[in-house]
Amino acid sequence: MSTQIEPIKVADVGDIEDEEALVVDGAANGTGRDIAVFFSDGQYYALDDTCTHEEASLADGWIEGEEVECPIHSARFSLCTGAALCLPASIPARTHKVELRGDEIWLHPGVPVEGAVTEVTA
Amino acid sequence: MSGTVAPGAGGNVVIVGGGLAGFTTAQDLRKHGFDGRVTIVDPEGIPYDRPPLSKEYLDGSLPAAKLSFVPDDWYRDNAVELITDRVVALNPDEGLLELGGGRTVSAATTVLALGGRPRTLPIPGGDLPGLLTLRTKDDADRLRDLLVPGLRLAIIGAGLIGAEVAATAVKDGATVTLIDPVPVPLVPLVGAELAVRLHAMHAAHGVDVRCAMTTGISLAGEEYTVTLNDGSSVVADAVLVAVGIVPETNLAEAAGLATDQGIIVDPTQRTTHPGVYAAGDVARIRLADGTLIRRHEHWESAMNAGRTVAAAIAGVPLPAHGASWMWSDRYGVHVESVGDLVNGTPIVRSVDGVPVAAFRMEADGRMIGAATIDGGTAVRAARRIIDRGLVIDPLKLADPSIELKKLAR
Repeated sequence: MSTQIEPIKVADVGDIEDEEALVVDGAANGTGRDIAVFFSDGQYYALDDTCTHEEASLADGWIEGEEVECPIHSARFSLCTGAALCLPASIPARTHKVELRGDEIWLHPGVPVEGAVTEVTA
Repeated sequence: MSGTVAPGAGGNVVIVGGGLAGFTTAQDLRKHGFDGRVTIVDPEGIPYDRPPLSKEYLDGSLPAAKLSFVPDDWYRDNAVELITDRVVALNPDEGLLELGGGRTVSAATTVLALGGRPRTLPIPGGDLPGLLTLRTKDDADRLRDLLVPGLRLAIIGAGLIGAEVAATAVKDGATVTLIDPVPVPLVPLVGAELAVRLHAMHAAHGVDVRCAMTTGISLAGEEYTVTLNDGSSVVADAVLVAVGIVPETNLAEAAGLATDQGIIVDPTQRTTHPGVYAAGDVARIRLADGTLIRRHEHWESAMNAGRTVAAAIAGVPLPAHGASWMWSDRYGVHVESVGDLVNGTPIVRSVDGVPVAAFRMEADGRMIGAATIDGGTAVRAARRIIDRGLVIDPLKLADPSIELKKLAR
């Protein structure tokens, strides 16, 4: 049985500007890999921060709509599903669930997301 | 053994060449739902990516398996057949391709994605069998086997490949001499300001840079002597000739297709035969008014050409491609450029007197080109500025405190 990683609060709403991202350090998030939390068009998303083609931070990439483009070789990934949308990447990026708790942004490291993005708890 | 492969029910496509253009054609055909048979014929087998060959693959930090565009099972999962062979003849009227192994393959549609072969030097000794070139994985393996500390490597040609190999080889402990007749190479690609900075990095990293024409190469025992037109010479254990490529047009010419320093295609990448397309380094677009466009030899243009071919074959709208984009990596810096760095008025963005970005502007204020060194998303922003025809204040462009991304919105 795998160890459940506890969700962590990563920021407050408003801390991440539109089409920007913040990186949650791999040691801090418990997965050992840096995770980028993106904010784009009013939605929060989280992917492993490292491009699956070559080591580059996706948080430093071009964020637009539901996609992020790697700053080095322009591989594009879906922020919703992590799918690699064009070469040179062909391996998807891992997604992680993001949850809004009031004005707080919580990350569920290691909990994948399919299609949906932000879950708002009442 | 010989035989004939029958076309599939939905029409079939045979792609000759498994480089980026060929692979992308296959990938996008499936993305568009093309359900006919798709075959890639390449003597090298599984398609792979070439940019790392002069960098991470050459220095051993990237394993061979990571060169592949996609995991091996992608081909089975997407019903894309791979034939490891060379096409030696094409009969476009009958849709027949003859393979080196004697087999004949029939194709409703053929895509020629043959790329090019390294250009040789028309000088005495320019055809010595031991001279190195870098185009394929085998070439990179051969060079890598030689790259031991202390190797004296002469590189003829300081363009993208020559410069990248110089940087990699120096890192691996080789003694490198880089020879080019142009005082500052790559000016047309990245503009003069950044090209000067990039070229100066060679000397700063201990590369012996010679600005001269190579007039001859000789081999005595295991030692090469490269003679230059300035009267000097370079003694080396290995010589890499990196002076560009010649498009691989022989097959097309023999098949009667129009060629002119490339296989002539229309904007849909269709050759002068309706059943044959060409894509990538080998193809040269002729516009409806007869204008011949210069061939592009960059990674993304090959991918885009493959996307266009696939869309044309599948009968879906052709994709729009923005301003052309390229990158290079050397000495730990990342260089990118987009659009036209030859024409227009330059605007340079510097930090502490060091140029980090250069832009080219039309008189009406539109941007037509941009290049950066370690610019992050700046070139992506510039590309959108160019593609959308935005007019940007030149003072803001020159100000390094203003993120280009903000200007692109």
